[in-house]
Order: sequence, then C-alpha cells, then structure tokens
Amino acid sequence: MKNHKLFSILLSAILFFLLVPSASFSQDYYVYVAAESEDEVHLIHLDGKTNKAKIAKTIQVGRYPTETDGPHGINISLDGEYWFLSIAHGNPYGMLAKYKTGTDELVATTDLGMFPASMEISKSTGLLYVVNFNLHGDMVPSTVSVVDPDYMEVITDIKTGIMPHGSRITDDGTKQYHVSMMTDELYEINTAGLNVNRTLSLKKNAMKMDGMEDHSDDSKEHKENHEKHMKDGTHEEHSNKENEMKEDHSGHDMDGMKKDSGMKMMHAKPEVKPTWADPHPTKPLVYVAGNGSDEIIEIDTEKWAVTRRFKSGKAPYNLEVSHDGKILVASYKGEGATGIFDLESGKEIAKVKNSRKVTHGVAISSDNRYAFLSVEGIGGEPGSVDIIDLRTNERIAVVETGKQAGGIVFWKQVAP
Amino acid sequence: MNFLPMKFSRITGLIVVLLTGILTNNILAQETENELKIVTDPEVITLDVGQELQLKAMLVNAEGEVQPDTMIYFSRARRSLSVTRSGLMKALEPGSYSVIVYKTAQGDNPVMRKNVTVTVNYPKLDRIVFNDVPGKLYEGTSFQLESRVYDVLDFKREDLEVSDYKSSNPKVLDINQFGRINAKSTGKAKITASIEGVTKTHEIEVVSNPVTSIEISVNEDVARTGDVLTLKAIAKDKKGNVVSDAPVVYSFTARPDDSRGEAAPAQIEQNGKFVANKSGLYTISARNSGSVAETTVKINPRNVQREIEILGNAKVTDVPTSDLWVWEGVDGRDYAATGTHVGRGEAFFWDVTDPENMVAIDTITVDARVVNDVKVSEDGKIAVISREGASDRKNGLVILDVTDPSNVEILSRFDDGLTGGVHNVFIYENHIYAINNGRRYDIINIEDPKNPYRVSQFELDTPGHSVHDVWIEDGIAYSSNWSDGVVAVDVGSKLGGDMESIGGSPENPKMLGSFTYPSGWNHAAFPFKSKSSDNFYIAAGDEAFPGGIPAGWIHFFKLNNWEEAEEVARYEVPEAGTHNIWIKDDVMYVAYYQGGLRIVDVSGELMGNLYDQGREIARFKPSVNEGIGPNQPMSWGPQPYKDMIFVSDMNSGLWAIKLKPVQGTASN
Repeated sequence: MKNHKLFSILLSAILFFLLVPSASFSQDYYVYVAAESEDEVHLIHLDGKTNKAKIAKTIQVGRYPTETDGPHGINISLDGEYWFLSIAHGNPYGMLAKYKTGTDELVATTDLGMFPASMEISKSTGLLYVVNFNLHGDMVPSTVSVVDPDYMEVITDIKTGIMPHGSRITDDGTKQYHVSMMTDELYEINTAGLNVNRTLSLKKNAMKMDGMEDHSDDSKEHKENHEKHMKDGTHEEHSNKENEMKEDHSGHDMDGMKKDSGMKMMHAKPEVKPTWADPHPTKPLVYVAGNGSDEIIEIDTEKWAVTRRFKSGKAPYNLEVSHDGKILVASYKGEGATGIFDLESGKEIAKVKNSRKVTHGVAISSDNRYAFLSVEGIGGEPGSVDIIDLRTNERIAVVETGKQAGGIVFWKQVAP
Repeated sequence: MNFLPMKFSRITGLIVVLLTGILTNNILAQETENELKIVTDPEVITLDVGQELQLKAMLVNAEGEVQPDTMIYFSRARRSLSVTRSGLMKALEPGSYSVIVYKTAQGDNPVMRKNVTVTVNYPKLDRIVFNDVPGKLYEGTSFQLESRVYDVLDFKREDLEVSDYKSSNPKVLDINQFGRINAKSTGKAKITASIEGVTKTHEIEVVSNPVTSIEISVNEDVARTGDVLTLKAIAKDKKGNVVSDAPVVYSFTARPDDSRGEAAPAQIEQNGKFVANKSGLYTISARNSGSVAETTVKINPRNVQREIEILGNAKVTDVPTSDLWVWEGVDGRDYAATGTHVGRGEAFFWDVTDPENMVAIDTITVDARVVNDVKVSEDGKIAVISREGASDRKNGLVILDVTDPSNVEILSRFDDGLTGGVHNVFIYENHIYAINNGRRYDIINIEDPKNPYRVSQFELDTPGHSVHDVWIEDGIAYSSNWSDGVVAVDVGSKLGGDMESIGGSPENPKMLGSFTYPSGWNHAAFPFKSKSSDNFYIAAGDEAFPGGIPAGWIHFFKLNNWEEAEEVARYEVPEAGTHNIWIKDDVMYVAYYQGGLRIVDVSGELMGNLYDQGREIARFKPSVNEGIGPNQPMSWGPQPYKDMIFVSDMNSGLWAIKLKPVQGTASN
C-alpha cells in the first residue's frame, strides 16, 4: 500500500511536471508580429519570470525596398517549423511568404489575391486558407485562397463574400470560418471539400433567418448585398473615429462624384461589419467580432444560429478564444483597449487600456497565461505589442515595434 | 535504510518504462501511419490533349486493404491540366505535369500526399510555316529563312527548331542548318525543311544578278559617338539603272581610338542606321553579291561631359525623402515641396531662392505614413499631396493652398473612393489625376479646390492590371502600368497631325495607345518631342528589385503615331536601378537610386544603349554621413528648374546642383 501510494504520488508529480510545466516553471514566450507600415516582422520575447519583454529579432520583409508592401496576416505551420506572412500590396496582387522559424530565412513566395490578410492551416488537410480581404477594392465578392504550404502553390480560390477577414479553423481542421465584412455574414468552409458549406447573416434583424442553411454565394441576400455594395465607397474599417471626424465630406457626396455627374452610387452600410471569427476549441461555437456593432457574437454551429451577443468596447477587431475555452480576448480597435470576456457568463471581466491607439491583433500563449496584443499607433508613432497577464488581467509589458503593428501569432513557449 | 533508494530505483525504472512507452507509442503510431499509402489508379497516366480521365486514389494498408479516406485532387498546372476536386482530369496542353492527391487527416492519422505525374502527349505536328521567303533571288545574294512549327491543334511548338534543311539543287541554291540560303547560280531549286515527318517545300528561282555596282552615301562623314547616321546604298546595273529590289547587306569594320580591349564599338541595322559607341574610324560596307561599296566615317568623342557644382543640401536625415516639386511662387521667390516615405505623414516646404541656403519654411502633417508625391499647379497656388498608410486606413489626397508657402493651408481632403491609397498625383488644367489603389487613376476637378469632385476614372481592363504613375503633357495622360506598359490617354490632346485628339477630355478620357516591353517593370514615363531631331519619344522607366537590389533602365519608344511605336534605344546603368525621370531641352535627368542622379544628352535620333555612347553629361551621387543610409545615394526624383537641377534623395533630403560651364569645345 505504502509503495503504491508513494508511486502514485511520484507519478502524479511527474505527470504534473510533464503536463503543466508552466504552472510551476517560468517560461520564455515568443510571438511574431508584423509591422505593416514598416515592412518588418519582429520576434518578441517575453521572459515569464521577470515579465520583461523585448524584440529578439527584426526581419525585413516585402518585395519592394522602396515601397510599403504591407505585411498583414501571420501564422505558424502545424509543426512550428515555418511561419507564413501575407503581404497586402503588390502589382496589384498580394502574396504569401514562407519563412523558416528560428533562422527566419525566406523559403518561398506565391501570389494571392487582392490584399490577402489572415490565414490558418488546417490539421485535417494540411492546407493553408487565407482570405483575400480586398480592403480597398471594388465592393465585389472576393476569395479565400487555398495554398499548399509545402509547395507554396495556390490550389484553388473559393469564392466568398465582400471583404472577407478572420480566417480561423476548428481544432479538428475540418471547418474554416471567416466573415464577410460588407455583407454582415459568417462563412463556413469545408476544408476538405474546398467549398462554402453555409453562410449566416449576423444582423440582429436577421435572427429568423439564422437557422436556415445557405450553401451558396448566390443567396438572395448575398446578391442584394452585393448589388448594394458595388462600388460603394463606404467600406473602410470602423476603426479610428477621431481621425474619421477630421475628414470633411461637406460639399461633395460620399462617393466623391459630383451630384449631377450621372454616376451616383448606392449606399447601404453594413450593420455589424464583422472582422474576425474564431471557433471555440472544444464546443460547437464560433465567436465573431462585430466591428461595426460593438459586440461579440456567439454562433452555435450545430443550430447554425446566433445564440448570444456580448456588448463590447468600441470596434472589436480581432479576437481569440483561450485554448481552454474559458475566456475570450478581443482587441478594441476603436478605443485602444483590450476586452477580456468570461465565456460562460458572457461578461466582459476586464478592459485593459492599451499603450496607444488602434489595437489590432490578439494572440494567447499556449498555456493561456498571457495575451499579446498588437497595437498599430497613429502616423509616425511606433506600434507596440502590449502583453497582458491573464491571471491578473493587467498589462505587464509593452514592446515598441515598427509602425502599424498588426498581424500577430504566438510561436512557442520554452523553458529558459 | 536501503528501502527508499531501492524503491526509488524501481520507481525510476518504472517511470523510464512509462516514458519509453509514451514515446514508443508515438513512434509506433507514426510507423503504423507509414504502413498506409495512397495508391492511384491508373498509376501511369498518359493523355492526349483534350482527353479526360477519372483518377482514382485509395488509401491502402500494408495488406493492400482499402481504408476509408477523403481525398482531394489538385493540379500544379491548372492551365495545362485541369483536375476537379473529385479527380476528373482534362489535358489542356502538352507537357509533363503533376497532380497532387491529398488524404485529409482522420483521427490520429495525419495528412498524406502523393504526387502523380501526368504526361500529356504533344499532338502530331501539322505544318511548318516560313517567313516571307521570296520566290526569286538574285544570283550571289543570301536570305535568312525562318521556320515556325505548328501541331494539329494549332499550337506553335516553341520547343522545336527546324535544322533539317535541304536544297533540291545545291549548285543553284544551298541552305545550311540555320536556314541561311545562298543563291549560287541561276536556275530553279526547291528548299525543303523537315521535322518529325512534316515537311515544307518552297521553290526559289535564282536569276541573273543585274547589279554591277553599289553606291553608298552617309548623311554625315564626321559625327560623334551616339549620333545615329543614316546610310543609303543604291544598287545599279551595268547601264547605270537603279535595281530597286536588289538586297543590300550593311556591315562595318572599326578602328577605335582606344583599341586596348575595347569591344562592341558600334551598332548597324539593315535599314541603314549606324551608331558608334566609341570614337574612331569606321568603314561601312554595302554589299550585293560581288558588288561592294565602302564609306568611312570619323566618329569623335561626344564630349558632353560637364562638371557638377553642388549648390546646397536641405538635409532630411530622420525620415526618407520621397518626391519633390520646385516652383516659382506668386511672390517671385523659388520654393520646393518634398514628401516623406514611411515616416510621420509630413510634407516639407522649402524656400530655395538661395539654393546655397535652402530653408525649411513650413511642414504639413496629415494622417499618413507615406506622403509619396507632391505636385504644385502651374500658377503656383495649389498643391496636392498623396496619402498612404493612414491610421484609419482611409487614404486619399490633400489639397493645399501654397500661395504663401510659409503658411501652407489645407484647403480640402479628398478620400472618397481613394481609401486604398494615392501613390502618385498630377495637376493639369484644374484637374488632379490621382493614382487610386494602384488600379486606376481618378480625375478630380479642382476648379474650386475646397470642393473637389471626381469627374471620371480611367482603368485598364487587362487581367491583373496595375498602374503606378501618371504624367500629363499636351492634354495626354501617360500612365505607367507595369506589365501593361505606358498607356497614352487623350484627356484633351493638343497634338496635331497623326497624333491629333480623338475627342478625349477629363470627363471622357479616351485611350490612344499602349507601349509595352517584356520585363513588365514600367514604373514611370516621360514624353518628349526631340528638339534636335523632331522625333517624338516616350521615355519609359523601370522599377525593379531583383534579388532586392534596384535594377532596370529607361526604354525609349519612338512614335510615328499612336499605333506605330518602336523601342529604339535604352539608357541602362548596369550597376543601379531607375526611379523617376524628367526630360527638358533634350536632356534627360534620371534618379537612378543607388546610382545617384544621371544627366544624359538625349538629343538627336536615338539608337542603342545611350549609356555606352558617351551621352552622360554628368552624374551626381548625393550622400551625407549622417544620412539614413550613411554615405550612400538613394536618389528618388529629379527636376530641372531654371538653370539648376534639384534632386530628392531618400537618404539625405533635397539637393540643388548646377552644371558648370562647358570647358573647351567638342572636337567636331
């Protein structure tokens, strides 16, 4: 009995050390963040013991040394051996670049669509799904490019909504979710079938329609939205209202055309302006950032319906559900803050002021201890990565980066 | 006493076994996975063009048993071999291609992949097509035959080159493996080209050659390097009559002044154009069979080189400087505006009346990280600056009142429909031409600069089109469109003759023509009517960074009209890359990034590489040791202004220089 008890204790201790190392040992944490207006990617290192963080390395990226190519989305391969970066601007198409983690050498590139943005790799197919955001293009349906990350070749482009953003994939790799910002829709892609499974309107007044499956891009609503937004000049992100207010639109139409020019455009602003979607790690739920409606929207993917709406801060932009599925961290782009939600209650349990304006991306460490927020800043101001301790919900470090820190991804945590 | 160590030892052993088991399980799982494999049916695939085949892929275990799976099929050459998600292949073009079959992950089994090679047979050859080969040749003359091979599906076979040529009577006509035909004696003969069982025959009659003499003349006996000479050769028979259809071959021998390893001293075209890169004596021959005439020309050094006098530098060393504009203000003083790149959204205004002491007099800061371009209206009252990298991602342009450049005022902002960013702008006759998101340019009326409004847009409809810059001259907008080249658009053309307006206006821009080149690097354009030759040229500049290093050159298109354009010359600095250009009074000013500013004589007819012809008047490599790139030039844009030249440099700011007076005289 004694032997058995001692063995159990020791085994428990060993398993504890094996499975929950971070609870007992300090760790080194690493995230990659892209500085969109500097054409740089920084590797940020956080010492979990001292809570001190710094730029461990800066990697110059982009095609044209004398242009701003705009690195936007970033993610890590399933085996952690590579990181992938979407470059927003090109002539005219953006591209995907593949780098080796650690050495950060450029391995390969491939052209994508207009303003490619967020991406993730499916555990099921091994393929990378990147949305072509087409932020500044005509209000027409865009695509999700599916890329073989080994060969770095686009294997297909899946037609989707207008200004798709926030490509995140279920833990089993079978479903990719993104949102169509200008049609207020959530899209679900079958990663193996390489097709849109269904779409869901995220508008409040569309609740009755939410339970209906829509297997095509040709739904009536989609067509209507498409027509409404064709050449609509109002598709900018709801981000920095202070700056927007400085723009004087008096004296001319919103679309810039003289009234009697015969080229008047139609206007129908989306209500929700969803900008991000992230599936829950274990439950059939997807969370969406309602950038235009200041809310976090919960969707039950079994019912294919909106189940809850959480009031958020101004203009939530990116979000991430913690790996244990208990909390959600959202960037409030419109107020330079970070919201932390308890997913069971749906309550915002903390709002943490960021170090500067225009909060952009979220990455949570694999042990759920830290949230890393990229913050763009304004004009010539440096961007930053703000680090929040999710045990205390306090900001514990700020690392200044190149201008317009945006895409961010957690790479690894290791023992020092 | 020994209990604990013993127990500990046993427990440690147990832990080792446990950990080994965990690790082994992982390894075993991978090994087990490795026993699965993707099998395709058929394994070897050969298709004809147009043929379809259903590829079947299965997952089988070590025993050959088919396992449940989900497969995805993908062609690595979709335009040549299409494959549906379910594996239905269709061969579209001949060649060898890869189809990849993915097995999606199931449970613990990871993704698997198999490459399948598909050979698409080339269709049978159909025909050989000759170039415009004559039916008659004069005895003793030659002709270069060119052959193209097509298959039964009308694909031109670029991979095949005909080398099997035969003559039915080599004493009359012989032909070598490269298709060179020599008419040896009178008579008839057939030449036959053959490849893979396909033949083409053409009969040529060799007739007696009436030419007994050649006369050659040249428009100048003494010229300079870079001067294009026009040769005229006349073939005559024994009675002195001109034989107008007699072919003449031009060639030359050279005796360059510097013969120590000098190479490629000149270039001659079979239309009778000759240009020398190096000084010396050149003997030019015109030949028809045994009749040869020669003329000798003396080529002197061009001697256009002048020294530079640096007048001043308005240093900007904390942010890269982008474009510039220099103008005479309404008060008669001289001013300059410069933009900033990846900075704080600033445009700087300078009083440059005293170029040796250029003074910053105002700064306009807008919500942007790049103010790439600055332009000022002809009357010196209105300026426009471009915005990119705005914090709210709503870019556009800003219109300024620069009547008092010391107190520049923002008159209006215009961003509707321009949120993707305005990279370049131009002001012409109360309109701003603004590059919109690299896709089109918008034409914006600024008669009331506080209330600008868009009157039209111009956008190409080519796949993947992209536009970088636009410049207006004489009512024609010349845009630079990367792979779509320079596009000329009538927005109220003032040109006449063969290039007269087709009724375009700012409200109704109409495309006149486009001028492309293979590299697809077209970044800037500057049209000019040569004052010395009366030729009309478009200088088309590249921007490219192969391997991250600036490269490219200036292409010169000579236009007879909007449909007839020929790329006749280039200016290529081998060690640097071009950016912006300006041409005034037959002198080209080109910012050559790391090569600094180059000032080039582009007078007269242009042919060949001007860089080799001694046409470079001067070069200036701006740099300061405290610059962004210390002691390194990175020149962005030039502007000749009055008797000076201003140049903006990314690393060091704004410079004013002057060409020193000519020392001595040209040797001719």
